[in-house]
Amino acid sequence: MSIAWLVPLLSVAAFVLLAFAGRRLPGGGAIVSLVAVAAGFGLAVYGFFDLRAADVAVNEGPGPFAVDFVSAGDLSVHLSMVIDSLSITMLVVVTFLSFIIQLYSVGYMRGDPRIHWFFAVVALFTAAMLGLVLANNLIILYVSWELVGLCSYLLIGYWWERPLAREAAKKAFVTTRIGDVGLLIGILVLFKATGSFEIDQIFELLTAGEIPAGTITLAAVLMFLGAMGKSGQFPLHVWLPDAMEGPTPVSALIHAATMVTAGVYLVARMFPLFAASEAAMLVVLTIGTITAIFAAVLALVETDMKRVLAYSTISQLGYMMFALGAGSVTAAMLHLAGHAFFKALLFLGAGAVMHGTHGIVDIDKLGGLRNKMPVTTWTFVIGALSLAGFPLLSGFWSKDMILSTASDGGHWVTFVIGVVTAALTAFYMFRVIFRAFFGKARSDEARNVHRAEPIVAIPLVVLAFFAIVFGWLGSPLIGAPFGDFVFAGHHAAEHGESIWVVVISSAAAILGILAAYSVYQAGKPRAAAIRAAAGGLHTFLARRGYMDVGYQWLIDNVSLGLARFVAVFDRKVVNDAGVDGTGLAVRLSGKGLRRGVTGLLYNYAALMVVGVVILAVAALLGSA
Amino acid sequence: MIEAIPLDHVVLVATTLFGIGLYGVLSRRNAVAILMAIELMLNAVNINFIAFSMYVSPDPTVGQIIAVFVITVAAAEVALGLAIVLQIFRNKSNINVDDLDLLRW
Repeated sequence: MSIAWLVPLLSVAAFVLLAFAGRRLPGGGAIVSLVAVAAGFGLAVYGFFDLRAADVAVNEGPGPFAVDFVSAGDLSVHLSMVIDSLSITMLVVVTFLSFIIQLYSVGYMRGDPRIHWFFAVVALFTAAMLGLVLANNLIILYVSWELVGLCSYLLIGYWWERPLAREAAKKAFVTTRIGDVGLLIGILVLFKATGSFEIDQIFELLTAGEIPAGTITLAAVLMFLGAMGKSGQFPLHVWLPDAMEGPTPVSALIHAATMVTAGVYLVARMFPLFAASEAAMLVVLTIGTITAIFAAVLALVETDMKRVLAYSTISQLGYMMFALGAGSVTAAMLHLAGHAFFKALLFLGAGAVMHGTHGIVDIDKLGGLRNKMPVTTWTFVIGALSLAGFPLLSGFWSKDMILSTASDGGHWVTFVIGVVTAALTAFYMFRVIFRAFFGKARSDEARNVHRAEPIVAIPLVVLAFFAIVFGWLGSPLIGAPFGDFVFAGHHAAEHGESIWVVVISSAAAILGILAAYSVYQAGKPRAAAIRAAAGGLHTFLARRGYMDVGYQWLIDNVSLGLARFVAVFDRKVVNDAGVDGTGLAVRLSGKGLRRGVTGLLYNYAALMVVGVVILAVAALLGSA
Repeated sequence: MIEAIPLDHVVLVATTLFGIGLYGVLSRRNAVAILMAIELMLNAVNINFIAFSMYVSPDPTVGQIIAVFVITVAAAEVALGLAIVLQIFRNKSNINVDDLDLLRW
C-alpha cells in the first residue's frame, strides 16, 4: 500500500497539465482529469483490498510515505500519510464520486468557454481532498484543508460574471475562514502540548495520559470549530445554501458529497482526542443535533430545488456530527459514505432538471417532469427515498445506526430530535418530488423540457444503484461488514440496532412521505392553507430564520465599525503620528542642528580646541 | 652643557610655538598659511618629545624616533595638503578657506 501517495499526486499532475495546457486540449482536456482520477480510484480499490487482507484498524495503519518537509531545529514536519480503514474508505468514496461527477460534467459543462479551468480546479480539489484524507500530519492536513476551501471558492465563483456567484464565493470563503482559524489554533494548542504535529504521536501521548484534560478539551473544541465551518454546522451553515450558485456538478461533488464531509472526517480522524473529553463530545452532539433539526425545518419552505438539497446536506451533516458526538465513528462514516452517494445523485438529478429547463430550479415553476425525463425522475425518487431513510435503502441503515447510537447512549432528547428530523427530511424531499416531477407543468420551460443525454443519465443510474445497496454494508442482517472493516473486528459491533428503533425511524420516514403526499398531491393542494395558518412562522423560515440578516447586521455594525476604528487608528496614530511623526521629528531637529554646521574651517578648529581644552582640564582635575 | 638649559625653558618655547601655530590655524584664511601654521604646531610637539625624552625618559632614543616619524608624516601631510590646495586653486582661482562651503546647508 506504499503507493497510496500516488493517488493525490495523479490529480495534482492533472491540475498542472490542465491549468497550463488545458486551453489547447480538445474538450478542455477533461479526459486528463478523468484518467487521473480513474487511476486514483483503481489504486484506492487496490489499497482497500490490500488493507482488508492486512486487517488493520483505525489509526493503526503504517505511514509508509514520510518525507522531510520542513526541518528547523527541534521542529520537523514530515509529509507523512496514514493508510487505515478510515482514510481508505474516504479515498475510495472521493475518487469514485469525483470520477462519476466529472463524467457527468463532460455533458453538463459542454460548450462552456472556460471548461479547461473547470476541470483543472476539480482535479486540484480532488487532490487536496485526498491529501486531507491521507494526512498523518496536522500541517499537511491544514494545508489540504485550506486548499479544499480555495477550490470551493474558485468553483462557487466559477460563473463570476454573475454578481450572486461572486457574493456567494466570498461568503463561503469568509464563513469557513472563521472556522479555519479555530482549527489552526487547535493544531497549535496540540503542538504546544505534545511538541508534535504527527497525529499518531499525539494519540500515543494521549493514551499515555501526558496531555492535561483542559488542553484536550480546548484543542478538541477549537478543531471542531474548523469542522463546523467546513461542514456547515449551525451557526456557520449560512454559506452552504448560497454556494449553490456554482455549477451543479460542483454542488454535487464539493458541497454535498465530499468537501463538506471534511469536517466530519476531521472529527472522525481525531476521534480519540474528542472521546477523551466529555465536554467536547457534548459540544459535538449538541451542535450536530441543532444543525440537523434547524436545517431540516428551513428546507421545508425553500422553493429553490438546489437549496432544499443544500439544507438537507446541512441537516445530514448534523446527523453525522451527532453520531460522532454520541460516540460512533462507524455510524458517522457509514452515513457519510452513503450520503455522499445519494446526495450526489440528487444534485446530479437537479442538475439534469436545470439543464433540461435551461436553468429553472424553482419548484413552483416546475411540475410534470416525470413524463418527459423518466430516468431523472426515478433516480431522483430513489435518492430521495434513500435520504429519507426508507426501509432497506442505503440511508435507512446508516440512519438507524445513528439513532441506535443515540438511544443506546441515553441521549433521549437527541434521539427524539433525530426521529423528528427524519420525518421532516422525508416530508421536504417528497415536497420537491411532488411539486417538480408530478402534477402539471407550471411554466413553458417545464413543458418543453428535454430528456437527459446519456453521459448525464449514466452517472445517475450508477449512483442510484449505490444509493440502494451501499448502506447494506452497515446492515446487521448481513453482519454489518462496514463496522468490522472500520475497526478491523477489534471493537466488535459498536451498537446493535434494536428493532423498535428501526420501527420508529421507518414509521417517521413513511409518515413524512404520506404527509407530503396529502399536502401537495392528494386532491387539491393544501399548501397555501397551511402557509396562511403558519403566518409569521412561514415568513421567519422563508427568511432563513433571519440569520443572514443578523450576520449582515453584525458585519455592518460590529465588524465594519471595528474596521472603521482600526482604519482611523491606522491613519491618525500609526501613519500620522508614528511614521510621519518620526520623519517630522528628524526633519525639525535637523533644521535646528544644521545651524551649527557652518562649513567654516576655523569654526571647526576652534571647537576642536575647546574640546581638547575641556578634556585636558577634566584629566587634570581627575588626576589631582 | 646639556644641563645648562632647564626643562622648563624648553617646554615654554614649545608651548609658545604651539600657541602661535594654533593662532595661525584659527585666524588665517589662506590655506597655505594654515598648512604652515600646522607645521609650527607639529614642530612644537617634536620639541616636547625630544626634551622629555632627554630629561625624563630612561631611554633618550625613543622620543627622537617618534620625532623623526612625526617629521616624515608631516612631510607627507604637507604634500597631500598642498596637492589639495592646488586643485582648489585650479577650480576657484583662490585659496581662501571661507569660500570652501560646498557642504554647508
